[in-house]
Amino acid sequence: MSQENRTGRPRGRPPEGGASRLSRTEAGLRGPFLCFFTFAVLWLVVASLLALIAAVKLHRPDFLGACALTTYGRVAAAAQDTFVYGWGFNALFAVNFWLMAQLGRFEFRNGWLATLGGLAWNLALTYGVVQVFRGELGGFALLDLPREVGPVLILAFLFAGLWSVVTYARRPSGHNFASQWYVIGATFAFPIVFLLGQLMVQWFPSVGTVPALAHAWFVQNLMLLWFGASTLASAYYFIPKILGRPLRHYYLAPVGFWTFFLFAGWTAPAALLGGPIPIWLQSVGVVASVMSIVPVIIVGINFYSTLSVDGGWSRAWNSTTLRFVTVGVVCFSLFGGLSTVFSARDFSAVLAFTSFAQGQQQLLTYGALTMTLFGASYFVLPRLTGSLWPSAKLVHLHFWAASLGLLVAVVASLAGGWQVGHLLADPAVSTAQAGDATAVWTLAGSIAAMLFLVAHVAFALNAFGMILASTSPTSEGRPD
Amino acid sequence: MKNLNLILAGVFFTVAAAWSGLVITAQVQLGSLGRAPSEEGGPLFPSREPGLAIQGRTVYLDLGCVACHTQQVRPAGQGSDIARGYGVRSSVARDYVLQSQVLIGQRRLGPDLANYGARAKSEVELAAFLRTPASGVNHPPYAFLDAERSTALVAYLKSLRQDYSSPEAKLKQ
Amino acid sequence: MNDRNRHPDRNRPSQGNPGPGPDGLSDGRLVEVHSQLARDKEEPREGFSLTPIVIVFIFCGFGFWGGLYLTRNSGNFASTAFDVNAPKAAASAGPIEFEPDAAKGEKLFVAQCAACHQPTGLGVPGAFPPLAGSPWVAGNEERLIKAVLAGLAGEIEVKGVKYNANMPNIGAGLKDAQVAHIATYVRQAWGNTAGPVMDSQVAVVRKAIGARGQYVPADLLKEHPLETK
Repeated sequence: MSQENRTGRPRGRPPEGGASRLSRTEAGLRGPFLCFFTFAVLWLVVASLLALIAAVKLHRPDFLGACALTTYGRVAAAAQDTFVYGWGFNALFAVNFWLMAQLGRFEFRNGWLATLGGLAWNLALTYGVVQVFRGELGGFALLDLPREVGPVLILAFLFAGLWSVVTYARRPSGHNFASQWYVIGATFAFPIVFLLGQLMVQWFPSVGTVPALAHAWFVQNLMLLWFGASTLASAYYFIPKILGRPLRHYYLAPVGFWTFFLFAGWTAPAALLGGPIPIWLQSVGVVASVMSIVPVIIVGINFYSTLSVDGGWSRAWNSTTLRFVTVGVVCFSLFGGLSTVFSARDFSAVLAFTSFAQGQQQLLTYGALTMTLFGASYFVLPRLTGSLWPSAKLVHLHFWAASLGLLVAVVASLAGGWQVGHLLADPAVSTAQAGDATAVWTLAGSIAAMLFLVAHVAFALNAFGMILASTSPTSEGRPD
Repeated sequence: MKNLNLILAGVFFTVAAAWSGLVITAQVQLGSLGRAPSEEGGPLFPSREPGLAIQGRTVYLDLGCVACHTQQVRPAGQGSDIARGYGVRSSVARDYVLQSQVLIGQRRLGPDLANYGARAKSEVELAAFLRTPASGVNHPPYAFLDAERSTALVAYLKSLRQDYSSPEAKLKQ
Repeated sequence: MNDRNRHPDRNRPSQGNPGPGPDGLSDGRLVEVHSQLARDKEEPREGFSLTPIVIVFIFCGFGFWGGLYLTRNSGNFASTAFDVNAPKAAASAGPIEFEPDAAKGEKLFVAQCAACHQPTGLGVPGAFPPLAGSPWVAGNEERLIKAVLAGLAGEIEVKGVKYNANMPNIGAGLKDAQVAHIATYVRQAWGNTAGPVMDSQVAVVRKAIGARGQYVPADLLKEHPLETK
């Protein structure tokens, strides 16, 4: 455990010596990985700045209110799009790619193809975000970029993402591992979902509320099949890898995998409970949300039973990577439990349209996905750059600011949504009154956004410092 | 789990099943909805929006109003929408058949607007509110809206109504 | 517990693989060990693991509940059902949805009444009075409802012919809606032209008369005299 020390402080050292030990597998990955990762961190900082502006505008509506450029709607949409498509996708391209190449022993030769996809993705996204600020935004969250951006994003995804499938198909040994299934499933499912979502919501919207349903289906799949599955892929890898022992009850993992994919898409209508779609669809969504607890339980058994033996928890705490990943795993379980419990109609009648759903989503996109990706970065980056994390203090600051921000943000969204919902159950209370009565949660949201910004700047400084300081490694390193 | 094709086929099946089971089935059920008369031989609802309101819809979209305002009324017993006067009946799919982009929204930081036209202030007051919101109301000021866009937005807001009887949600006499 | 003992590091790849070295499992080893685990199911251990069984039970439980929930809250999978509370509200608020159906009434009539009154509604001369054109079944609905619910016993005059009636309380064993269907059929078949009967009317009458015996026709006439045209 090179990342542990006795005082329990994360030090962030490259796990295996320096550049000379870079394997051939990793050498081929280095270019595309660093390209995606750089974009990801830049977008992360941009997204947290925008999120901070949006959060402040919630309690000071006149903040930056003098022009159409910075209405709440545009800033909030841009913040979400940059976070999801900028940070989430770029970081996942990098990490999933690395996972697949490592697990499949794939020596990657045509890195420029993936890099090309990454450039196209980020160019299209930049164009889309600029258009959002110019007022060209749609009415559906995460499908609100101008529609001409969509096809470019799909093509770029195929270039950047589908290499994962190639690495699996060409892997030299016949063995396989859960992380690989999840990455393949996610990488294969998402372009299909993205294509259908764009077609049915943006290009050829159907009549009535069918586009709203198609949108809910897209968002659920994006959240679960791409973000959720990718989170699980990393967690399945890093927990046994760093603890140095196999997962317990691993034979359950395939069941978890298939039930996860089976129920994910069907949960979509639960987001529209009480809305103008036929009730049978809503009921299907409720049932699927409840059934989705099965894979959550199974991956929980895999992870927690492995962490619970032989001092696993304290070892996880003492490894920077595993500390982040463990937070991610716990958040994933929390997310699963909350979606199951709060899909009930009695709850949704009260909590619909409040910040409660946002809090749930944040548990997944930030708590599970982003924390896991941070953990993965602390593991992978030193290996690829061959240098140390420049500042252990910044690593420390990053973890605590991000965790605290996460806690405050999720609690503020959940508790604020809960309180607003119960206030609004009384028809005599106006939305303005409910908003005033819960202003403390809105303020907490801004504090969380500030903490996130601090954490992400610390992370970015550290990461870029390391990338700039890295020596150029040779591909003639350690044979792996 | 060794076989790549098996994983791909299985994943494809799960995605396709959910898509056809939910979205395509909904399309079959709702895709051919049209306008309907509220009473035998009466005019068809929802009524077509005036041209100015259609322009106003783009203003509503590009300011991002949908981030804070929903346009859907939930049935009695699911939330207090009807009791608080957001509508006289629950919204149904047919109410949206004329809208090229359905703006039902997901978040209510402000009131629901599905029936705003039925309870709105006068055009002048509404335009004034959008420029400088009443104190104590947590609404951003849209002083930057020029007269043309402001008029269009007001016309759109005034056109929002779901207070007719629909075959799926009849008004109680 | 010592996992290293359980999974001794045999089959170590020959070439420079560090094994569970500085960063735990090597990637090759990680994949290999788990592939084996997936094949061999649980690691060999004493006792019997409850986990898979519990999972299967949870799964079945949720599946059962899901089926029940869907049946109860699906609105018959109709594209027109948008309000999950609507069916329940209709059931508790009573017969808003009822539509008297003469076709259903005819089936019930054939089963319950036609033995005496005949499918033609003409009755049997001298024994059972006709319903076709009878003023008893037209006019006030309550008279007919009471006759069906409680039955008739005694002398009855229909269309100028006297009969000695002994009609059982057929309606007592039927639902309100069924009685309403029969009454509607009788009032609208064979050239009869009276209005339909609602199940709510049947319910009111049933409650009002309670569990009484057969009516004497003359008494029934006192309550609801025949309408004269």
